[in-house]
Amino acid sequence: MAMAALRREGRRFATPLISPNPTNALRSSLIPSQEPVSSGVRCISTQVVRNRMKSVKNIQKITKAMKMVAASKLRAIQTKTENSRGLWQPFTALLGDTPSVDVKKNVIVTISSDKGLCGGINSTSVKISRAIHKLNSGPEKENKYVVLGEKAKAQLLRDSKKDIELIMTELQKNPLNYTQVSVIADDILKNVEFDALRIVYNKFQSVVAFLPTMSTVLSPEVVEREAEAGGKLGELDSYEVEGAETKAEVLQNLAEFQFSCVMFNAVLENACSEQGARMSAMDSSSRNAGDMLDRLTLTYNRTRQASITTELIEIISGASALEG
Amino acid sequence: MTLNLSVLTPNRIVWDSEVEEIVLSTNSGQIGILPNHAPIATAVDIGILRIRLNDQWLTMALMGGFARIGNNEITVLVNDAEKGSDIDPQEAQQTLELAEANVKKAEGRRQKIEANLALRRARTRVEAINPIS
Repeated sequence: MAMAALRREGRRFATPLISPNPTNALRSSLIPSQEPVSSGVRCISTQVVRNRMKSVKNIQKITKAMKMVAASKLRAIQTKTENSRGLWQPFTALLGDTPSVDVKKNVIVTISSDKGLCGGINSTSVKISRAIHKLNSGPEKENKYVVLGEKAKAQLLRDSKKDIELIMTELQKNPLNYTQVSVIADDILKNVEFDALRIVYNKFQSVVAFLPTMSTVLSPEVVEREAEAGGKLGELDSYEVEGAETKAEVLQNLAEFQFSCVMFNAVLENACSEQGARMSAMDSSSRNAGDMLDRLTLTYNRTRQASITTELIEIISGASALEG
Repeated sequence: MTLNLSVLTPNRIVWDSEVEEIVLSTNSGQIGILPNHAPIATAVDIGILRIRLNDQWLTMALMGGFARIGNNEITVLVNDAEKGSDIDPQEAQQTLELAEANVKKAEGRRQKIEANLALRRARTRVEAINPIS
């Protein structure tokens, strides 16, 4: 509800503040300090300005509250994220992160948030996903999307509806945990055919910096092929593989485990970035509301003063006319 | 030569320091690992991990995952891990009894498999408290 109110307000502010030559009195009164109120003219009622001031104040309160909420959520999720980083690093050490491996079936897993008002993190991940889609497209190649989160869904449905294989939303209804994410990862593995999964998310650097990142998870067959061919994955061949009947079986398990670990980290990183972005967005909008309020107060006081002066002059001149 | 062990779960780091020897339960049986072990990548079963440190054996309950050994570095990635000393014996025993009852009650393939897994997890936790040495 608050968001809807904000958006409405935003639109209302936008028009009068940027229109270069205001056409009516109401509009001109909203441009602060640029056009001095011409003396002698009874100004539009101060009621309009007062109402606007009240609504700006309310919006400021909302954005301030949202900032606080984001800040407290961020703290909780940041520790979780930092702990989860240890989990995918060993996989990178063993299997490597090899974005350059050329495969036929690419599946792009775009991770975004369910809620808006968090800066540009969702459009960045969508943009990056589109870029990867373009980069990997070619004859005999297949690119599919798996979309997590409401916001990327809205953006990708518009132009790449036919490429979307799977959509999942409302990830963050409950606090994120590994069990939940591994169920999602399982769903993706079961329902989507892939040679390489490319997971796109915003990596959390600091409260104001988010790095759009892609992690690659290769399918077991590709891992085996690449390991035999040498190259970056050649190191894997130096490990003796234990624990199941065949090497392929172990690699299969390994790939699944890797995917759920990488997903877990990616989802957490993105959630962390979301809160950080929302915090800074809300911070700047409360500051903006403060500025706007200052300007409106100035206009309001000036108008009030002007009307008082006009009334005084009227009274005095009326009185002197009677005397004379 | 020293051996570095790190046991990682999605939520926290359970162990990250030097050890002298470990015994790991893999899908194909237990393996002991001493310094300068050959590089190996293996799946880890639900079972106990025994760690020798200053000539004392510690135990840890592992809930399945993956381990990589190489260059005197052991990395164990598991779904969950608990140190034997951190487990509440009473609570573990109760969970075991509950799991045993659930196995008897379970119907259908899926439920049976899940109940069996739960039983194995519960059993491992109890074992981790009183290791058979």
